[in-house]
Amino acid sequence: MSLADLILFAVLPAMSLAMVLAFVRLARGPTLPDRVVALDLIGTLGMGMIAAYAMARDLPVLVDVAIVLALLSFLGTVAFARYLERRVGP
Amino acid sequence: MREVVSGILVLIGAAFALIAGVGILRMPDLYTRMSATTKVATLGVGSTLLAVAVYFGELGVATRALAAIAFVFLTAPVAAHMIGRASYFVGVPMCPETAMDELRGHYDLRTHELESVCFPELERQLPGLQVGRLRIPDGAAVAGRTLAETELRQQYGVTVLAVCRGTFSIPNPDGDVRLLPGDELILIGPPERLDDAAEALK
Repeated sequence: MSLADLILFAVLPAMSLAMVLAFVRLARGPTLPDRVVALDLIGTLGMGMIAAYAMARDLPVLVDVAIVLALLSFLGTVAFARYLERRVGP
Repeated sequence: MREVVSGILVLIGAAFALIAGVGILRMPDLYTRMSATTKVATLGVGSTLLAVAVYFGELGVATRALAAIAFVFLTAPVAAHMIGRASYFVGVPMCPETAMDELRGHYDLRTHELESVCFPELERQLPGLQVGRLRIPDGAAVAGRTLAETELRQQYGVTVLAVCRGTFSIPNPDGDVRLLPGDELILIGPPERLDDAAEALK
């Protein structure tokens, strides 16, 4: 079994399942911070999936895409945290 | 050889991702969920990116992959801390099994500042009680009154252990000790009554 098969038939399905579980938490909540954490996890998992796909398809440029996704995910989380804290803050 | 190593690394990454997914769904409250997702997801992505670095084996790709790992390792804890802090202020509940909330009473809920003063040894000896340190602000209504007039013991059930004033402190103060702005009171009592007393002394 080649690395591409391993990624396409084992790694990506496992990560997709994790993403589905994170989506369930995103839909369920119950609080807004729960949803933000779920969104953060979805971003991180997306990064992992892109990195794995880069190997399966031999496309090293996709690593740059993963970096950009990590940056956006971090900025989104920080912005949400600031917004949450300001809503109750002084 | 390279394929085998990166195959193992990417499998580790997939296992961590799956654990994170189960963790965020099954853990009982936000704080434990965050502990499951941030640590596990970071390690999972780190392992996957390491696999990328090993698999391509070129300087340019490996450098970018390692830079991405460094970025994730730096930002994930920061983001998690900010979310956790904000949730604590918003009042996201902890699961009922939580045995101890060490931050309780140590945060100023208006300025969001943490007072690092605490008396863990004393509080271990006195379960259910908390020792608090309270500064009388300038222009507070209680400034200039005596301790007896503040009725801390009668109204709030908290005891004043000492009054700290500048460099000296008055231990076991009498009721006729007059409070000045800038004084610090060391109080002992049940945590929720300490909060009430702190509100009254503002």
